Amino acid sequence: MKSIKRCQRIISLFIILFIGGMIALVVKIQREASFYMINSEETSLGMVYDRNGDVLFDGTGKGEYPDGHFIDVGNLIGDDKGQMENTLVANNIQKLNNYSFSTGLVSEDGKAAIYTTLDHAANRAVYDAFGYAEGCAVAYNYKTGEILVCTSLPSFDFTKGYDDIANFKSGTLISKNMYGTVPGSTQKVSTVIAALEIMGADKLYSKRYNCTGSYLNKSGDRIDCHNAYGHGTLDIQLAIENSCNPFFAQLIEDDDLPLGKLKKVYETLGYAVNGEDEEYIDINGIKCEKASTTLNDPYEFKTQWGCMGQGDTLVSPVQLMIWQSAIANETGKVTMPYLIDHVTNVSGKVKERAKTQTSDRLFSADTASSVKEMLLTNGQNNYSWSIGGYKVGVKSGTAQVFEGEQENSLLVGFVDDPSLPVAFCVLIEDKNNTYLTTENIVKVMLDSLNNDLNG
Amino acid sequence: MSGNTGSYIFSCLFVLLAHGGMLLNVFINGNYSSISQVIILAGAVLILDAAYFVAMPFFKQTTYTVDFLLILILNMSVIFQSCFGGVSLDVKHYITSIVALAACRGGYLVCRNHKWLGQQRKFFYIGIGVLMLAILLLTGSRSMWISLGSITIQPSEFIKPLFVLACATSITEQQKKHKILFFYVVYENLALFGLTAAICLLQWWCRDLGSLPTFVGIYACGFLLRICYPKAKFSKKKLIGAGAALLAAAVAGMRFAPAYVQDRLHVDIWSDKNGDGYQQSQALIAIAKGGWFGKGPGYGGLHKVFAHENDIVFATISEEWGLLYALMMIFAILILVAVPLVNPPRSYFHGTMAAGVCAAFTVQMALNIFGSCNMIPFTGVTIPFISSGGSSMLISGFMAGMLVACQSPTMRAPAVHNHERQQPQQPVFQQQRRPYP
Repeated sequence: MKSIKRCQRIISLFIILFIGGMIALVVKIQREASFYMINSEETSLGMVYDRNGDVLFDGTGKGEYPDGHFIDVGNLIGDDKGQMENTLVANNIQKLNNYSFSTGLVSEDGKAAIYTTLDHAANRAVYDAFGYAEGCAVAYNYKTGEILVCTSLPSFDFTKGYDDIANFKSGTLISKNMYGTVPGSTQKVSTVIAALEIMGADKLYSKRYNCTGSYLNKSGDRIDCHNAYGHGTLDIQLAIENSCNPFFAQLIEDDDLPLGKLKKVYETLGYAVNGEDEEYIDINGIKCEKASTTLNDPYEFKTQWGCMGQGDTLVSPVQLMIWQSAIANETGKVTMPYLIDHVTNVSGKVKERAKTQTSDRLFSADTASSVKEMLLTNGQNNYSWSIGGYKVGVKSGTAQVFEGEQENSLLVGFVDDPSLPVAFCVLIEDKNNTYLTTENIVKVMLDSLNNDLNG
Repeated sequence: MSGNTGSYIFSCLFVLLAHGGMLLNVFINGNYSSISQVIILAGAVLILDAAYFVAMPFFKQTTYTVDFLLILILNMSVIFQSCFGGVSLDVKHYITSIVALAACRGGYLVCRNHKWLGQQRKFFYIGIGVLMLAILLLTGSRSMWISLGSITIQPSEFIKPLFVLACATSITEQQKKHKILFFYVVYENLALFGLTAAICLLQWWCRDLGSLPTFVGIYACGFLLRICYPKAKFSKKKLIGAGAALLAAAVAGMRFAPAYVQDRLHVDIWSDKNGDGYQQSQALIAIAKGGWFGKGPGYGGLHKVFAHENDIVFATISEEWGLLYALMMIFAILILVAVPLVNPPRSYFHGTMAAGVCAAFTVQMALNIFGSCNMIPFTGVTIPFISSGGSSMLISGFMAGMLVACQSPTMRAPAVHNHERQQPQQPVFQQQRRPYP
């Protein structure tokens, strides 16, 4: 009888393995059925809303909206036509489908929807403030990670279709906030963080360098300052406020800031150094580029220039913004950004809700506090009139692009106010062709957000 | 039926109720242009049920469990296949189902006497050899099909029961060890190993790698039961060794698999959903469309896809009848192969045979279902009794007959006479258990 049981055990083994496989199959189908449906020709898409219930995308195609209603976030939200891949709808389309394995496809009255963290009114105000200028602006709550503003120009109203796609301006179909740009002197924030991490605050504050308008570095290359007359002798606070290039060139050459350690801090911050594979920040499926730079030799022009945000250094505006959260929170940890607050299924039940997440520690809390103090002082001394009414910590930057033929203007910073915990980055392209300033955009953005959040 | 008419009638009613329920669903929710199509289908199914219920008692068995399950599954299959794309009796599948029922009887009659089977062992090898030659010479350029006019035959299907029998009959030879150099070997085991290797090479040559795991599964069953015979417990060392060898063979097989197999191993069906991933992606979409309860018999769209009635039949049924029903169908087949767990095989030989049949059925189902649902590489094997195809239905029926033979002794009247009591030796395959269906 034992031998018969042995046969039965073998039979049981085959059956159990098969049943295990079937259970795995059912679980897989349950989890992926929405994805399968999106790949079929039968879909019934729902809506995307902003934080106040304003429609940002209408999958039914039946709603009526004012002309240009979607234009301020058109290239971020996207649509289901397949022309834009790195958008919210393209990367979350299965969440929008009014389908569940139990109910099947619901073509009428489905309640599948994505509720975003965006503030449509603030986005619209910022978009309008740009006027004819191009660029982008992004802002988020550095306590929670909710992205509030994310607009990029030029943009388009996707309800008008793609018939005229050949005449679209370059950059129309992407949100520039997600792609690397030359950061200009906003990069100096990273260099200051690195110097604080390596030297400590006391030593860095004790450093004094002279600026005569230009500096001949140890390799014999000249680093020009934007102030041709020079800033004289500066400490780090004044260097940040004046964005003095010779000061930073001399800081990079300083033996107290060894290149190996500098590279390590940069890598911890998220830079791809010297051609490393660049990583991405995932924002609800949207791929956001991080940062890259070249650090070869502290006496070399390219490395020094890279630490000041020129040359081949690239950082995305979103990355510049989220570093500000680590400073504003004085933790050295980045609050990770997100766009989707919650998602409802076909019957209107909330099936997933966002949670605030932070990164690993990028730099020490002491460093964060020191940088915060520097940026707040800069904001107090230089921006209190242009961004009036808000206690901001900021750093500006001017980026030379297209071989120096065009200059972009950037401003990164945060509001030091518990009722308006907002970090931001604004980029205006070709700043010399517009009277608009980054401070104008920031002011409009903060006014609109303050009005909406604190009403 | 001997001794328990009530159970028999109850089982008949259960099967009729199941089929009646399905037919009612077809009537209410089905896609048909004329009610006559439903009536013809219902008539065909119920007549076959009734005919089988009448015919079965002529084969005196102690239990009819497998038979009832078989008719239940086959007529479910007829209803499924007749609804794909619109309700209309699938005459070809209906006929092959009848053939499968007949083959089951044949399998039972051939396999019920293990002594006689043991004497025919060499014919299994000869039969397999002839079939392999047929594949080599008659299937055309590295194919797996022989065309006879409008009929096509897949010889590799016919190898399966013979291979199960070869594995099962080898059990009795395990005591006959011969010394070759420093090793004691059983010639039968060497022959089986050689046969398995030859079958694998042949499958490789004719690009029918989908059937290969089925043969490996049958061989693994036979091998495990041979290496442990006649010990009371499994030898752990042997088990680990065999497992390691199988794993190494699988890894090597995947590493050196031909290009078309490599393609299937690595294909991303969603990025190539109009190319190599077409059938699988359409199958998964169809399952999603069907949901738990289906779109209704005949309302599916997968019937437009090639091999919807065999290679991706699980998805086709899921779309029209729902995943729940498709799972119930698979569960019914599982109960069929699990019958030896409830009604123990009457000898080690029969146990080995039952394990071989179980291995063949479960591996085939796994290859078909998991392959079509993109959990493993997609192969063109069939689900026993459900997929259409004459060769598959015939052989599946025959193997079901082998299961019947495993648990059901040749019958004689259960009454024990005085003169029989005096005889000390009962036939090996006679049982005194109370019969039940």
